[in-house]
Parts: sequence; C-alpha cells; structure tokens
Amino acid sequence: MIRTQIALIKREIWEHRSIWVTPAAIAVVTILMAATGLAIGEGFRYAADMAIVGASNVGEIERRALLTGALSGVTFLFVFAMWVLTVFYCLDSLYAERKDKSILFWRSLPITDTETVFSKLVVALLAIPAATLVGIVVTQLANLVVMSIWVSGKGGSPGHLLWDFGALFDIWGATLIFLVTVPLWLSPFVGWFLFVSAFAKRSPLLVAFLPIVVVPMLERMILGTSYLAKAIFVRSAKMPLFGDISPEKLFDEERMALAAENVSLLSMIDIGRFLLSPSLWTGLVVCGLFTTAAIYVRRYRDES
Amino acid sequence: MTSLVSARGVTKRYGSVLAVDNVSFDIEKGRILGLFGPNGAGKTTLLKAVLGLTDCEGELSVLGYDPFRQRKALMRDICFIADVAVLPRWIRVSQLLDFVAATHPNFSISRAGDLLAETKVRKDARVRELSKGMVAQLHLSIVMATDARLLILDEPTLGLDIIFRKEFYANLLSDYFDGERTILVTTHQVEEIENILTDIMFIHDGRILLDSSMDALAGHYAELVTSGANAETARAMRPLHEREVFGKRVMTFEDVDRERLAGLGELRVPSVADLFVAKVKGATA
Repeated sequence: MIRTQIALIKREIWEHRSIWVTPAAIAVVTILMAATGLAIGEGFRYAADMAIVGASNVGEIERRALLTGALSGVTFLFVFAMWVLTVFYCLDSLYAERKDKSILFWRSLPITDTETVFSKLVVALLAIPAATLVGIVVTQLANLVVMSIWVSGKGGSPGHLLWDFGALFDIWGATLIFLVTVPLWLSPFVGWFLFVSAFAKRSPLLVAFLPIVVVPMLERMILGTSYLAKAIFVRSAKMPLFGDISPEKLFDEERMALAAENVSLLSMIDIGRFLLSPSLWTGLVVCGLFTTAAIYVRRYRDES
Repeated sequence: MTSLVSARGVTKRYGSVLAVDNVSFDIEKGRILGLFGPNGAGKTTLLKAVLGLTDCEGELSVLGYDPFRQRKALMRDICFIADVAVLPRWIRVSQLLDFVAATHPNFSISRAGDLLAETKVRKDARVRELSKGMVAQLHLSIVMATDARLLILDEPTLGLDIIFRKEFYANLLSDYFDGERTILVTTHQVEEIENILTDIMFIHDGRILLDSSMDALAGHYAELVTSGANAETARAMRPLHEREVFGKRVMTFEDVDRERLAGLGELRVPSVADLFVAKVKGATA
C-alpha cells in the first residue's frame, strides 16, 4: 500500500516535471536578480547603509523587520506560482492519461482507482507545496549569501546584521505553516479540479472555470441571492490563519517605530483559529466529495 | 479441467445497443484461445468485461474473481496488451520498469531487463522516442517478465510490420507460454496466428458463432473444391458458404457426410480465415 503510493507519487513527479522545474526556475531567476543587484529593495539598501555606518537609529527590531521583509518578498512569487502550478497539475492529472490513452495501461496494473486518485491529491496538497518550500528556503539562503557579500563590501558585519537564526527560523517556520495550510484551505478547489480532470471530455480548463463564474451569476439572476459568490470569494481571499493584525499593532505611532512583538511572522499566525474554523472543515469535506466523485468517474467511465 | 474464465449469460448494453448478447463460454487453463470477430462484433467489450473494465449482466468469473468488483486482486494474475499505443509516451523505459516493479508483486525487473537487452530498446529512452515496433517489444517484455496466469492480447500487433509481428508471436510462444499459462488473443490477422492456437471463438453481433478447439475443427468442418455438375450436387448438401476461386467452386460445410463429399472434388480442412468468413456470411445471410 505504502510502496504503491510512493511509486505513484514518484510517477507523478516524473510526468509533471514542472512540479520541481517551476520553483527551481523561479529560484534561479530571483537569485540571479539578487546577485546582479536587481531584487533587493532600495529601502533595504538604505537602511543597511545606515546600520553599517551607525548613522541611524535603526535598532534591533527594525533590522529584524527589514531582514524579514527582504527575505519574505520572494515567498509571494513562489506561492503565486504554486497556485498556478496546482491548478494546471490537477486539471491535467486525470485528463492526460485519457487523452494519450495510457489509462488502459495504468489500469492493467494491480492498483485501485482510489490509490491512483489519492496519489494525485497528495501531490497537489503536499508535494507541490514541499517543492515550493525548498525553492523558497534555497532562494532565501542564496539571497543571504549575496547580501552578506554586499554588506561585507560596505565594511559591515553580515554575521551580526544578516545571519540572525532567530529571525530565519521564524521566517521558515511561518512559511512552512503557510504552505501546509494554504492548500488545505483551498482544497475544495483542488477537489473540484481533480473531478473536472477526470470528467471533462475536452478543455478541462474551461470546464473548470466556467461554472465558477457562471453558476454564481445564475444564482444571482434566478434566486436573487449570492451565497456561492460569497463562498468562492471568501475562500479565495480570506483565510483565517492570521490573528488580528491591525495597523496600530504593527506600527507604534508614539515612538514612530515598529511595534516590537510584530516582527515575528510566527506570532502573527493563529493556528488555533485556523483549525477551529468551520470553513476549513466544510472545505475539506467538499474536497473529499469531489475527490470521491473523481475516483468514481475513473472507475466507472467506459471510454468506448 | 479447471476453468480460468467462466461466462454464463454475459450481456452488455450501451443504451439500446446490445454489444454482447447473452454469451456463455469457458476458457480452460493452458489454452491459447483466438477470439475473432468483425469490427463492432463485441470482442473488445467482451475483453473489457473479462478485465473488469466494464460491468455487465450475467455471471462472469475470471480466475475465481468477479472481475469488475475484485479488479485489483485480478490484475495481479492477469496481464493485458490492449494496443501498442497505450504505454505513456512521456515515460522513460527505466522509469516504467521501476514503476511496474514497485506496484506489481509478480513482476521481475531483472527478467524484463534480460528480455530488453535482446532488443534495440535503450533503458534511458523515452517511449515517444521509440518506434512502434520497439514499443510493442517493450510492452511484451514487461508482460513476459510478469508471472501471470492469464494473458490477454487485444490486437497486440496492430500497425506493426510482418517481421515484428512474426517475432512477437514467436517470442510469446518460446519465452512465455509453458502450458501452465493461458492466453486469450484477438486480431484481424487470423492467418498469422492460427497455427499457434489451441482454441478459437468467433463472435458476431454480440453472439458466439463458434467455440471450438482447433483439433475438433477438422472433425466438424470441411471445405470442398469442386466444379460443374458436382458443384450442383454439393450445393444441395447445403454448404455454409460458397465462393469462387480461379473458376472453381469452394464450399464450406459443417457436420456433413464426408464420404459423400469426397467423391465430389478435393476435400480439405478450411483455414480459420475462410471458416470465419463462411460463419459470418452464413450468420448474416
């Protein structure tokens, strides 16, 4: 069972090389940009300059905030790419084998349809985020090296200014939690895409996105309500992972400085709130239902 | 005798179309059965039912399993080649072997490697880089390295040239078939495989027209080559089918008095292909 599952996941990674090529490509490009001085923000340069020459009131907290900001900027690029990758992966995962007719070969092996579809769900929810995490961490480490060289050139001490493992583990911890929870939160879409991939006779992309746009419109026109639109919007935009973040908490106006406790990304994450959110669990149930439907379609559809 | 496959009243409908119509048969262990039928006769549907790829009415038991409901268990003991094109084109040969080794308990990767070493198939090649014949060799190597009790071949040599086709069946016989295993094969190239078959089955319009061992065939069917007045006498004995070859009449008979026929011309055992035509034409007439 486990051996089959590992083989199936390896198979997915062989077939969909973009799972690791995409984060690797983004990593290479951003590292190159950092090395050529394009990626690291001017704000960081200015503040670092100030810190190095000791001419500013840049304190420990500000330094940490700048470091966190400078390193985490790339995360959004990776996460955006991860989402695009997941959409295309899911839509292709049960469609390509029907298109190239290899489904009959795969089904000639002693593997159940449940095992096969489950492996694709695992790739979407775990393997793609894992590859993304590796891409992010490698990029951040490389950027640290680039920044260290730059800071040393200015006569500063990279060990003190940049290699702050407290801050680094805070960033990596937060990124890890983010990459585990985002796919779970968006899992109803993953389930839907898997189902469309198993179901669509052609152009799964269109079949997947058309209902997301059209069905809420029909709801509005026919029933006059907009529950679906809200459900889709809330799911896409508002993830209950972050605690109460208000501008006052982030910035202390009296001191005209950052508020100390908010430099930590981890401290912004409220995992309890996420796990106790009913929306998370209804989302997972919806994902389960769509995945079951995808298994059912692969099992019972007669291609002739 | 142990029945590997046993079908009783198997029926499959697609909407109003009856693809397989109340079919009953048995396949015994150690046989090589050829299943023949014109396009759309129901061969593929029947094979799909045997492989558990489609549900059907009636009773169907394959190696003691209900194929549709116990497909995973069944697939440990069955191999099938449905068409040369079904291997995924993106995969590397080595990856394919690793994958089958990890998922199929009865597959020997070293045996597959030995078999492939005798071909031009390179292990680091992707399937899409291989010629059609090489893909067939690859698939056959995987199948021959799998210790299965039943092998199902559905048009395994479609689109291959004659040399590959001959080699394919020669390898199958010499390296795979050992009297313990059972093979079920369909093809349109009847004449190329009739000499390796132990049994044949004809299917037409979803029904079985003929289900016989090759040995029994000679006892039941006769082909008469005749002309002139003798042809008239023979025709009165109600042949299944009659055709003209170089000005002579060739008639196919079923369960007929051979001694009477013998005096009317040259008597011989019909080839499977001719018998097939006679049966199908006879059924349509």
